[in-house]
This record gives sequence, C-alpha cells and structure tokens, in this order.
Amino acid sequence: MTAPHDLPEEDEALAAEVALGLLTGAEAAEAERRMASEPAFRAAVAAWQERLAPLAGEVPEVAPPPRVARALEARLSPRGPRTTGLFGRLERLRGPVSGALAAAVVLALALLALAPFLGPPRPAPLGATLVAGAGELRFEARYDAAAGRLVVTRAAGPPPAQGQAHELWLIAPDAAPVSLGLIGEAGLAVAYPEPPEGWTLAVSLEPAGGSPTGAPTGPVLAAAPLTRL
Amino acid sequence: MADREEIEALIARVALGDRAAFRALYAATSAKLNGLLIRILKDEAEAEDVLQDVYVKIWHNAGRYAANGLSPMTWLITLARNAAIDRLRARPRPPGEPPADTADPAPGPEAAAIAAGEARRIAACLGELAPERAAAVRGAYLDGLSYEALARRHGVPLNTMRTWLRRSLIRLRECLSR
Repeated sequence: MTAPHDLPEEDEALAAEVALGLLTGAEAAEAERRMASEPAFRAAVAAWQERLAPLAGEVPEVAPPPRVARALEARLSPRGPRTTGLFGRLERLRGPVSGALAAAVVLALALLALAPFLGPPRPAPLGATLVAGAGELRFEARYDAAAGRLVVTRAAGPPPAQGQAHELWLIAPDAAPVSLGLIGEAGLAVAYPEPPEGWTLAVSLEPAGGSPTGAPTGPVLAAAPLTRL
Repeated sequence: MADREEIEALIARVALGDRAAFRALYAATSAKLNGLLIRILKDEAEAEDVLQDVYVKIWHNAGRYAANGLSPMTWLITLARNAAIDRLRARPRPPGEPPADTADPAPGPEAAAIAAGEARRIAACLGELAPERAAAVRGAYLDGLSYEALARRHGVPLNTMRTWLRRSLIRLRECLSR
C-alpha cells in the first residue's frame, strides 16, 4: 500500500469506520464534513476502501437473473456521446472565438440552412446565462430539445484552480440541488429531460472530481433561472 | 472477470454515454456485485433491486470515476456495498429483535477459500488477528453489521467491540503495508 502515513492513528481508525459504514448520528455527520473539507482524510477513507475491497473476493459470485439487465435497459434514458453532432463540431471551433459566440453563429447558420425544412415553429429554446460578480466569470446554458441535452459552457473567465472544479446544479422549486456534472474545459453536455421554465441552474466551486457529498459544499459562484430565450 | 485495464476502459466509455460499454461492464462485473449484495442483504429480491440502483448510479457517475482515486473494482464494490448498507440501516426492525444475522461468526470456509492475490493478502493479514477479531472485521465488511449488531454477536459491550475493531483495523493496516 502506498497510503500516506501522515494521519494520527485516531483519524486512521475513524477513516476505516467511515469506509465500513459504522458511524452513526453526529459522528457520521462530522466525518462527512471532514470528507468534504480535508483531502487527507478523504484520501485515508479511499485508502481503506481500497484495502478492504479484496474481502469482497471471499463471497461467491452470483449471476443476476436476466430481468435485471432488461429493467436497467428500460430505466436508462438513451444518451449520446458527449462530443458528437453540432456541439462536438462547435467544441473544435474554440479558440479566438468564444464558445457562446461560436454557438450563436453555428446555431444561426444551422437554423437558416434548415429553415425551409422545419415544420411548425418550436417554442423558443430554454437557456440561462449565469454570471458571477461583475461578469468576470460567465456560463451559458442552452437546452437542446432535439437531443434532449442540456449544454453548458464557460463563456468567460478562468478555469477553476488546480484541484478544484465547477459543478453544475439544477434546483427545482423547494427542492435540494441535483448535480448535473462538472463543467470541464469543453463544457458539459448532459442528457436530461427538459426542465420547466423557472427552475434554477447554479455553478458551485467544488474539489476536483466534484462534491463528495452529493450536495454543494463550496461557494455558489453563479446562479440563474431557466427562461425561454 | 476482465482485468483492471479493461474495466477502467469500459468505465471511461460509459462516461461518454456508450451503451455497449455499459452492457459489457455489466456482464463483466454484475455477478460479483450481486454476490456481495446478497451476502450483505441476505435477500435475493432486495439484492436485485439494489443492484439495479447501483448500475444506474454507475451509468450516471462514471464521468467522475477518474477523479476519485480508487481502482475500478474498488469503486464498483464500494458503490454496491454503500448502497446495501444504506438499505440495511433503513430496514425497519421490530424493537428488541436482533438484526438479520445468519452468517457464521467463525471464519468459515470462505476465509480459507483460495482467493485471488489481493484477497489472499488480506485473508493472510486477518489470519494474524485473533479469530473472533478477524470475524468482527469480516462481519462489518461482508455482513454490513453495525457496532450494535457486532457487540451482540460477540457477546461484548458496544464500547469494547468498538475498541477491538479499531485496534484490529490498525493492525490490519500495518500488516497490509508490510
């Protein structure tokens, strides 16, 4: 094992208890908090998961009945590769032209070219512009109804610092934020049913790899409601 | 069983929404995860249910796998085990009745089973502990037992069990790092 040995034994034992799922109540909550804020503790828990996982090899394998695979096929919505079609080409256009501008140009050209063949007008696309502070960081979000995908790009501002990530959240009224994924250098395209107008998109700053808890743990950098554009 | 690189490559393709890769990953790993879920939950129907949830999670979270620092099988096993533990702890239990606990407290034939490399190593290190302490570690990991259930199974007070287990785990770590 190559685990770092810089944690006190007490913390090592605690990390093992987290990995085993033995903590309850306040102790479990405190450990969650430490997982979110202390990379060394998070790494210790991961090392314990790694150490203990071979025990699963002591259990005989049992092939699940075929109905499980069938049920899964039905449950998973179809999802295309992240970089195909219009938005894939768009991503390769990045460079001097900002992503949002390129998106607008390519979309306009595509719509012009397709206009004669399009049926009745569709409702205006759903989208949002998420701006942090005075505009030093800006994310553009568009819902691609044809592909059933939400596409988000960082249109202005620097990437997150080393070891950090921009995580996108969708927030329904009176509901907890749901993570849609990390906005990487090429943006984020995520298969998702069309959200209603008025739901909120937010971007938070998280550790690399995203929030370890499933809820935002870092500051919310920008948020905006989805509207018809 | 596919090897580590193959599983890793499949997860990377699943992250891109590759359904064929998802089916291949399921074919390569579902028997192992299902076996573990049955062991923890002691209920095949419930294990099936949780197995589905686990693979839905894999489908949606594969993009995050590379960042979590775990080996691919550990990631899959941990997802499955955590889902099973959540299910176990949420089970309603009539007051006073002990939790489902049908496993042999002694290190039964499974411990002696010839397992692959890594499994053999951890089995050897558990073999250096007193038998009832090794059984407690296995009970926590493979049966998902809580401290309360472990204390009951071994007939010791809860705090004693906790002290035991923590010491055992630290010794296990020392042995594995040798």
